[in-house]
Amino acid sequence: MPSELTEAIVGMREDEALAIVKRELDAGTDPAAVLEDAKEAMSVLGKRFECGDAFIPELIMGGEIMKGIAAEVAPHLKAATSATTRGSVVIGTVAGDIHDIGKDIVVLMLDVNGYDVHDLGVDVPVEKFVAAIREVQPRIVGLSGLLTLAFDSMKATVDGIAAAGLRDQVKIMVGGAPADAQVQSYTGADGWGNDVGQALRLAEQWTGGGA
Amino acid sequence: MSSTGEELYKQREQRFNDIVALRRPDRVPIVPHVIHYFATKVKGISNRDAGYDHKLHYDAIKEATIRFGWDFTPTNGMFAADGYEALGTTQLRWPGGDLADDASFQFVEGEYMKADEYDEFLADPNGFTLTRIFPRIAGNLEGLGQVPFPPLYWLANTYYLMNVGGPLLAAPPVRKALESLLAMSDAVAGYFAADAANAQEMAALGYPRTWGAPIIPAFDMVSDMFRSLRGSTLDMYRHPEQLLKTIDLVQQGQIALAMMVMQVTGNPRVFIPMHRGAGGFMSDEQFETFYWPSFKGLVMAIIEAGGVPSPLFEGDYTPRLKYLAEFPAGKVAGHFDKVDRKVFKEVLGDKMCFWGNVPVSILCTGTPRQVKDDVKELVDLFGDTGALMLDSGLGVPDEARPENMLALREAADEFGVF
Repeated sequence: MPSELTEAIVGMREDEALAIVKRELDAGTDPAAVLEDAKEAMSVLGKRFECGDAFIPELIMGGEIMKGIAAEVAPHLKAATSATTRGSVVIGTVAGDIHDIGKDIVVLMLDVNGYDVHDLGVDVPVEKFVAAIREVQPRIVGLSGLLTLAFDSMKATVDGIAAAGLRDQVKIMVGGAPADAQVQSYTGADGWGNDVGQALRLAEQWTGGGA
Repeated sequence: MSSTGEELYKQREQRFNDIVALRRPDRVPIVPHVIHYFATKVKGISNRDAGYDHKLHYDAIKEATIRFGWDFTPTNGMFAADGYEALGTTQLRWPGGDLADDASFQFVEGEYMKADEYDEFLADPNGFTLTRIFPRIAGNLEGLGQVPFPPLYWLANTYYLMNVGGPLLAAPPVRKALESLLAMSDAVAGYFAADAANAQEMAALGYPRTWGAPIIPAFDMVSDMFRSLRGSTLDMYRHPEQLLKTIDLVQQGQIALAMMVMQVTGNPRVFIPMHRGAGGFMSDEQFETFYWPSFKGLVMAIIEAGGVPSPLFEGDYTPRLKYLAEFPAGKVAGHFDKVDRKVFKEVLGDKMCFWGNVPVSILCTGTPRQVKDDVKELVDLFGDTGALMLDSGLGVPDEARPENMLALREAADEFGVF
């Protein structure tokens, strides 16, 4: 049964969602539970997106409502809750490309779906990916790009990860508007996606969460 | 017997027009929609030089058009880097600016208008553009936001114009902005001189240019240029009325601009770059509310003025094809990026020609065999009517392999002659 809060967020009723959060916090509800309900809403939106029943505006607006709720809840949280994560992800837009819209949506949705996401930003050189992989030890690496020059940067990044002896430790997805099976094969990645739904599906598969 | 340039030009224009009008042509042409760095890249010229040396760039486009056997010469999608520099624009980054010499120029999307500024913009779009938008998009124009500009009508007589306007224009930040605008204008003049010389030279050689100028649909103007994807998306929920009013206002400008560019360029084909209308970017309901009415209005206005709307449907437009069926048959030169070609054939096969859709990824990273197989599939699908023009999904990709671009020509000759 979805909670009242989950339903308000999924229904894009921002004011109502924030009012519910205030009411619950005033009534002494566990702030961590409030946050969980909000995250559940984002998870529902992500699933709807995968099925073609929700679209980018819902994800962005949902993320925005989440931000407002997190700001309300933060002062009430006694200590940082040590949430269990579904796995770490290192992600960035590859060298030469500064586009971040698609990547940011993927980062948001992986985050609310329980992944520990390390976003390296845009125009990320190969060495920075390699260093982050050494440090974070992620299960998943996401390489994003919009321009055609990103194909070669993605390939260089995958090659660089292999040269550093880290290829077997990670699953690599290439994503962005021009990505397809051809790009996956050219770059030597393990999967590809044009949208956040495909990114979530791959992440689930690679962390043992089913298809 | 070989044809003269003039004859070839006429044949190619006629073939294009026949295909758009769904009249069966003699063969399938290659019509590259737009070009950026490909032509200079294959000659070993840096992206930086391509942006600053306009004649060098246009000469390279000429060479590529001939070498790769294109039927039209693609329109240059790059603007003058010396113009960016004169403005000190922060809305674009480019090779020779703060990007490496071999990077591509890139647009920096941002909230150049804030969510709480709609009413100010709607009340005085000119003043808002001058004093709010200009300073936000270009460093050298920041002075326009630092001086308290009165409404222009306050200066509507010689006395006030001199006594108020005179000192205002003398203020150093304003002077710097005006000088920067004039320097930008000079740079653009050099660019357009090279552009006009190229159009003339290519026409004499028999190559029509694909389109004259781009006109962005009203929603994309607001989303790309004013509010960003994030901002415009949130506005659908938080400020829908103001968003719609702004789209209506921008729409008037876009239609007027479309009429103007057809006249100025003498080219009936108007490029309409399509961004946020793609599948996934919004629901059908949102598309019907925020995107479709103004896009349809723009397309219809161009058709009514005797032009050929040439939208480039970037992304996957398969879920939107049902809307495109509302356009009159044989009037729109729709160019497609990632659409499902078989669904297109079913939904729009008797209404619109099919242009583009050869995967960018294959041209950049695949083999000539893959290119030929893809072209064969297209000809097999559309050969019955011949309503087909070849191109990648997005014009000539910067990183296309030359052997793949040659394979496109060979495939057109091998499979595309009726």
